[in-house]
Amino acid sequence: MSQLPFWNFLLRINGRGNRIAMYIKRFYHVNVKFHKNSGTHKEVIYMAKAYKDLREFLATLEKEGQLVKIKEEVNPEPSIGAAGRACANMKSKPAVLFEKVKGYKYSVVTNVHGSWQNHALMLGMPKDATIKEQFFELNRRWDKFPVPPVVVPREKAACKENTITENINLFEVLPLYRINDQDGGFFLSKASVITADPEFPNDSNKLNVGTYRIQVKDVDRVGIQALPFHDIAIQLAKAEAVNEPLPIAIALGNAPLVTFMASTPVSYIQNEYEFVGALQDGVPTEITKADTADNLYVPAHAEVVLEGYIMPRVRTCEGPFGEFPGSYSGARLQCEIKITRITHRNNPIFENLYLGMPWTEIDYLMALNTSVPMYKQLKETIPEVQAVNSMYTHGIGEIISVKSRYGGFAKSAAFRMLCTTHGTAYAKIIILVDEFVDPFDLDQVMWALTTRVKPSKDVTVIQNCAGMPLDPSSNPAGMHDKLIIDATTPVAPEPNPRSVELLKPSPETPKWEEIIKNLMAASGK
Amino acid sequence: MKCPRCDSDTVRVMTKSPVGDVWEVYVCDTCCYSWRSTEDINVHDVFKLKPEDICKLQHIPPIPPLKSK
Repeated sequence: MSQLPFWNFLLRINGRGNRIAMYIKRFYHVNVKFHKNSGTHKEVIYMAKAYKDLREFLATLEKEGQLVKIKEEVNPEPSIGAAGRACANMKSKPAVLFEKVKGYKYSVVTNVHGSWQNHALMLGMPKDATIKEQFFELNRRWDKFPVPPVVVPREKAACKENTITENINLFEVLPLYRINDQDGGFFLSKASVITADPEFPNDSNKLNVGTYRIQVKDVDRVGIQALPFHDIAIQLAKAEAVNEPLPIAIALGNAPLVTFMASTPVSYIQNEYEFVGALQDGVPTEITKADTADNLYVPAHAEVVLEGYIMPRVRTCEGPFGEFPGSYSGARLQCEIKITRITHRNNPIFENLYLGMPWTEIDYLMALNTSVPMYKQLKETIPEVQAVNSMYTHGIGEIISVKSRYGGFAKSAAFRMLCTTHGTAYAKIIILVDEFVDPFDLDQVMWALTTRVKPSKDVTVIQNCAGMPLDPSSNPAGMHDKLIIDATTPVAPEPNPRSVELLKPSPETPKWEEIIKNLMAASGK
Repeated sequence: MKCPRCDSDTVRVMTKSPVGDVWEVYVCDTCCYSWRSTEDINVHDVFKLKPEDICKLQHIPPIPPLKSK
C-alpha cells in the first residue's frame, strides 16, 4: 500500500475538502484534517499517520534517523540486551535492528518504542513533539473510542503467509535471547496476548489484548505471568474452575499502537482493538481470526503469531525476570501454555523490549498510556485539573497540575487519584503543582517544589495503605504509605503573607522562538 | 551436567541452533532454568533454588477450587 509522506500544509475548504479527506482516509490509511484559512492567521494542518504493521513503522523510523541496522552477525547474549541498554543511555535512543543473530535464521529489533521521538512518530506527529503535546493529542484521540476494527480474511492477512502445525520449535522462527543476565531463561517481553472470556466466548467487548511476560520453557511450551488483577486472570479463573484449557494467541511484532494499547490499563469490557482505531485518529486497525479458536482475533499483519492454550490448573517454576522497577522479581509458580500452531510472515522480525534501570523502552511505552486514563478520571470530577504526569515507574510517582480554586483545594486531586483503580495500588508519591506548571517539565516541577513547599504544612504522609507489590520499598509487599506534597501557591483562605509577582515573558517571545528555531534548522543542514 | 540454579542433574538439551552447529540450549526439568552453551552463566546466590523449595513458591494466580460442570 503506498504511503503519503508526512507533511504540514495550508488548505482552504472549498466544499470538496471533506470528500478528499474521506478518499485519502479509506485508501491510504491516513487521516487528514482540513482547517479553514481564517484570513488573519493561517492554521497548520496536522495529519495522523496510521501504520499498517511494524514494517511501515520501522521504515518511518529509518527515514527520520531513529533506526540503526546492525549488519554484522552478533551473539544473542549478551549483545542484544546490551544494545537495548545502550540505546536507553543515549540522547537519540534509536530502535536497533540486528539483521544476523548467530545460530538463527531471522532478525531482531529492539527499542522500537524507546524514545519520545519514536513515540511521537508512532502517533504520526513530528519527532520533536513535546511530551505535553503528545499527551494532549492522545487525550483528544482517546475520546474517539470505539472505532471497530476491520476483520480481514485469512488470505489477506500477512501474519498467515506461513503456517507451522507440527514439529513446533519456537527457536526456528524467533531469535530468542536472554534479556538480563539473571533472568531465568529467554523471555518474550513485548507480546500482545489475546484471550476471550469462556463464559461469554463471543462477546468481543470481553476479548482481551494484554501484554504479559512470557518465558520459553521448551520448544513448544512457554510460561506466562497472569497477575490476579489482570484481565487475563479473570478469564483463566473461569476456565480453571471447570478444568478447561484457555485458548490463547500470542502476537509478536505488531503495529506500534497495537502494542501500545496492549499495555494500557483499560476497563475489562473495553476492546483494545477499538482503542487502536481511536488512537489512529479514526482509522480502524486490521485483525483476522486465529486458526485454532474462532472467537480469537489477532492483528492481521503481525510478524509472528503463536497459538495454543493455557493448560488448566498447572503452575511451574517461572522467573526470575528483570522488571520495570529496575530490579528482578524472583521465581514463582506460574501458568504454562502449550503452543500448537505458529503462523508468520516471510522473514519475520522478532520485536522484543529491553527493561532495565529506568528509563528504558518499557518506561516510554507505559508513560502516556498510564497518564491519559488517569487524567480522564480526575478531570471527570475535578475539571480544574490541567494535566497529569503518571510516567514515573508506571505511576508510582505522580505529578498533577491543578488550578486551586480555594485554600486546600489542590489536595482533593490527590485524594481523587488515590481512589482510582490504578492509583489505589500504584500512586505512592503525589506532587501537586499550579495550573501554569507543566507537570511533564521536571525543571518546572523542581521549581515548584523548591519555591512553593513549606514542609511543616505542605507534606502529608498517610500510613498503611495499599501499595504496589513490585515496588521493593513496599513491605509487606502490597502495603505502603502515601506521600502528598502540595507545591501549589497558597490561595485564600490559606494565608500567603509573602505573595510575589511572577516574572512573565514578553508577548514577543513566541515569535522569537520561531525565528531562532528556523535559523537553527537552516544552519544544521 | 548439573543445573547451575538448583544443582539437579535433570538437564537435557532443549534444542540446537537452527542454523549451523553453533550452540545448544539446555533446560533443567526440575526448576525450568534454561541456558545456552555460549553463555557465561553465573546464577547469583539469591536466585539459587533448592529442589525441595520449589513447591513452596507462591502460586500466581492462585488455582481456584474446582466447580462441578
